[in-house]
Amino acid sequence: MTSATIGRSVVRAGAVTVLVRRRSVMVAGALLVVLAAAVLASLCVGSRYIAPLDVLRALPGDGTPYDVVVRQLRLPRTVLAVVVGAAFGVGGALIQSVSRNPLASPDIIGITQGAGLAATVALTTGAAAALVAPAALAGGLLAAAVVLALGSRHGLAARRFVLAGVAVAVALRSLTEVVMLSADPIDGLRAQIWLIGTLAGRGWTEAAYVAVTLAVLLPVLLWAGWALDSSALDDDTARGLGVRPVARRTGFVVTGVLAAAMATAQVGAVDFVALVAPQVARRLVRAERPPLLCAALVGAVLVVLADLLGRRLFAPTQLPAGVLTAALGGPYLLFLLVRGRRRVL
Amino acid sequence: MTAQLSTRALIAGYEDRVVLDGLDLDLPGGEFTAIVGPNACGKSTLLRTLARLLKPRSGTVLLDGAAVRDLPTREVARRLAVLPQSPLVPEGVTVAELVARGRQPYQRWWQQWSTSDAEAVREAMALADVDGIADRPVDTLSGGQRQRVWIAMTLAQDTDILLLDEPTTFLDPAHQVEILNLVHRLRSERGRTVVAVLHDLNQAARYADHLVAMRGGAVVAAGPPRTILTVDLVRDVFGLDCLVVPCPASGAPLVVPTWPVTVSPGKDA
Ligand SMILES: Nc1ncnc2c1ncn2[C@@H]1O[C@H](COP(=O)(O)OP(=O)(O)OP(=O)(O)O)[C@@H](O)[C@H]1O
Ligand SMILES: [Mg+2]
Repeated sequence: MTSATIGRSVVRAGAVTVLVRRRSVMVAGALLVVLAAAVLASLCVGSRYIAPLDVLRALPGDGTPYDVVVRQLRLPRTVLAVVVGAAFGVGGALIQSVSRNPLASPDIIGITQGAGLAATVALTTGAAAALVAPAALAGGLLAAAVVLALGSRHGLAARRFVLAGVAVAVALRSLTEVVMLSADPIDGLRAQIWLIGTLAGRGWTEAAYVAVTLAVLLPVLLWAGWALDSSALDDDTARGLGVRPVARRTGFVVTGVLAAAMATAQVGAVDFVALVAPQVARRLVRAERPPLLCAALVGAVLVVLADLLGRRLFAPTQLPAGVLTAALGGPYLLFLLVRGRRRVL
Repeated sequence: MTAQLSTRALIAGYEDRVVLDGLDLDLPGGEFTAIVGPNACGKSTLLRTLARLLKPRSGTVLLDGAAVRDLPTREVARRLAVLPQSPLVPEGVTVAELVARGRQPYQRWWQQWSTSDAEAVREAMALADVDGIADRPVDTLSGGQRQRVWIAMTLAQDTDILLLDEPTTFLDPAHQVEILNLVHRLRSERGRTVVAVLHDLNQAARYADHLVAMRGGAVVAAGPPRTILTVDLVRDVFGLDCLVVPCPASGAPLVVPTWPVTVSPGKDA
């Protein structure tokens, strides 16, 4: 029995031997190409079109006439879209694998709502603008902690954990509404836009926070990419194989929560990306659970495209990226559900 | 030395009930032990506790004299494999992939595959006769095929001890015999210790070296089938009136229910 029989190739690098799904490699390659194209398009298109070659010449910043537009306006926002999309994709993939539920994602289990409530409070009480993101991060993590505490009594069993999350999400959302209604209408509107999620007016700083988070989580993600293979097994079977399923699940969820909460804190709730990206990736790779790298790449493509479309579709009116991801993500998920041969739920 | 499992004053159960109440049991190393008993008498609970899937309330499970709870779970997984009674079938996983998961205890994320993994998976699939369906998703297989895949996964673990909860359930007669022959070979050719829950008393009597009869969470009798499998035991454990005659083929005790069959439900029914 060679690794080929299980659809994997063995990759050796020094003392490290990893198995990679053959299809993952192809899909990841294709997604990289798509992402590069989307990024280039995002850099070319704006209130003023810049030809791809000019964009490429402007990137190093040697004083072409497009330097400012490309390097200071479009590039930071596009890079932010890439890292945020990747974080959402990874976070969603981890949370969905643990919950064994393709409908579980940070925006369903309360993380987004926790961040939203905290951000709304910050925005409507006149807190400094710099405090909004940290508040949102704290809110998201706090909500996740509550969900984990509620779910951990039963060892983070899939159904419990999702139910706890949905309950927390609903409670937090209604609280947010109360705060918003009792606030000054202008502040309420700002909170509303934050809740939808937008990349407008954000750039390197936000991107750096998310990128550093992902970089710090990278070793855990490498481990998770392998350890997730036990997530489809029941606890008895996993324990029999020497796995500690509850500890693993906790590791996956905490990692997913950190990635998703950080991304949400920086750009708001860009809905559906964390939900759809892992499922799209899973179908592309034809795996039994969302593959992490491909989920990250699909997430990045989705957010870059959503931001690009939001900027141009009804120009000069700018739509927040979150509106587009919701508008694109919903129907796409429906399409998958209708078309998919396999049982999804 | 052959691997050996035993329990001392083992009390185990679930939130609302104690199932095993102070069990002292020795499962001989290098032998095939069959556990029999009526439904709900605690066979699976015993197996799960032996395999450290269920934490005992008190008492110990000893693996070669050492308390299992003090051993790292990965190390236990290299010495003891368990087939639970009804494992959840993951969706969209192929047979070969699932069998390969039996190699988890030998792998790390930086060491995900080795030649011994490949060899163990190949051999396990051949032994359980699933190499012909290696590429099929497990959730599209028949009950008996699935059962053989799970058995292959436990074999891939390459352990001295195998704990099998109803390995022959779902199998047609020929595959039942094949699995029991396989177990017999593992024991006699490789000195493996096998403990299996079986419902067919005659198969248990024919194949097992050691028989454990349970009722109501306690062991009623334990020993070689030829000495302990009697009319009284069957009536006591199952409430079933029967004749016990020597099997014409193997000489092992053969349980034949009397005609007309009368059943007086056992304590647990
Ligand atoms: N997860 C559980 N939670 C609570 N009680 C349980 C659980 N699993 C089993 N039990 C109870 O423990 C007792 C023993 O069950 P066990 O599964 O060990 O029986 P068994 O001998 O394996 O039966 P069978 O032949 O039907 O497989 C039964 O009364 C059963 O209802
Ligand atoms: Mg049972």
